[in-house]
Amino acid sequence: MRFPVGTVYSDFNGFSAVAKLAQETSKLVWDSAELDFGRCKFFDANMSAPLYVVVTRLRDELNEVSIQNLPVQIEEILRKNCFLEVLNLRQMQDTNHTTLPFKIFKTHAVEQFYDYLKQYVPDKGASIMSKMLNKRFFQSILEVFSNAFVHSESVSGVFVCGQFFPKKHKLNFTIADAGVGIREKVRRFTGLRMSSCKAIEWALVEGHSTRNSQHPGGLGLKLIKDFINTNQGRLQIVSRFGFYEFSSKGQSVNKMPYDFPGTCVNIEINTHDQGSFSLVPALNGDSIF
Amino acid sequence: MDKAITVKVVELIGSPLCISSDDGQKVFDKLKELLSAGKNVVISFERVDMLISLFLNVAIGQLYGSFSEDEVKARVEVIGLSEEDMVLLKRVIDNAKRYFANSKSYDEAWLSEEDEDEH
Repeated sequence: MRFPVGTVYSDFNGFSAVAKLAQETSKLVWDSAELDFGRCKFFDANMSAPLYVVVTRLRDELNEVSIQNLPVQIEEILRKNCFLEVLNLRQMQDTNHTTLPFKIFKTHAVEQFYDYLKQYVPDKGASIMSKMLNKRFFQSILEVFSNAFVHSESVSGVFVCGQFFPKKHKLNFTIADAGVGIREKVRRFTGLRMSSCKAIEWALVEGHSTRNSQHPGGLGLKLIKDFINTNQGRLQIVSRFGFYEFSSKGQSVNKMPYDFPGTCVNIEINTHDQGSFSLVPALNGDSIF
Repeated sequence: MDKAITVKVVELIGSPLCISSDDGQKVFDKLKELLSAGKNVVISFERVDMLISLFLNVAIGQLYGSFSEDEVKARVEVIGLSEEDMVLLKRVIDNAKRYFANSKSYDEAWLSEEDEDEH
């Protein structure tokens, strides 16, 4: 069966388009799915991660997935970031060094993921990023990655990719999973029948965590928000019907018209931020407790 | 602090990366064992390359579920953390104190937020 893929930017409409594709293909089993890019005018490279959530579900149901009518410019983007390689199409060398390649990480592969970041981030703006910004970026991405493993219940792993925009001084990094979604975890934990949007808002409150264990949690996303605010970057969280966006200009949460079967976090940082992290209050090791 | 035993995190977990909850649990188990035996503890983060809140929640935040705030304050010391990581640890500790003091009340404010528009 043929399924059209519309224009996909990393925004509400783009995520809705991917969620629509997920919903349209959700019943397909033992069949073939041709993702038709004929009407796609643009595809943000980092959106490969949420798109793979759709692909992996199709493959879980033993469907044959192929790409059709891919415009040349989009093909180049998706070859350079290695997304098309997972669909058995040849990779193209990224001579501009602006992509962080699409990659699938399995459960507990957090140290491998750290190696991936160390390998690919340094030439994507990190050379001009301050040491502190670089560290905060790594910490933020690792918090999201670890959260995905702890909370998502994804059996397909975690899908990552990124894109550096040297002229705009922006670095986008996206982590997606095909797990149960924030809504399901929050509903189970609180016993409340929250919507996807409310569940994302709940998860963003400092100290809120759906982890059922002896130790506290619920700091990761709040720390990322603080970092993004200082850096004047952007944070997007998409989970099931919920689309959340935060930047220094404010935050919004909106319900998408379709169900995205998992969770996706997109972090965009301003790589020209030079010194906003240096001022920290003095604390010492025996009085901190 | 008299006769404190130093727990070298990098050597204990076998990695300079403090980024997984499993490694955090290993550190917590050791700290709990020592504190339960009446020892004073110095936690050394020397040679740590990367540290995230998830690890600290498990390794140190969890102490407040087993020991009183006064006990932790009197018997645990941290060395080898950069200033910014010390700020991160402070956030983790404050969060842990709130969590163990009042973990059930987190959800009360959301009781009116039920939404039936999704299946």
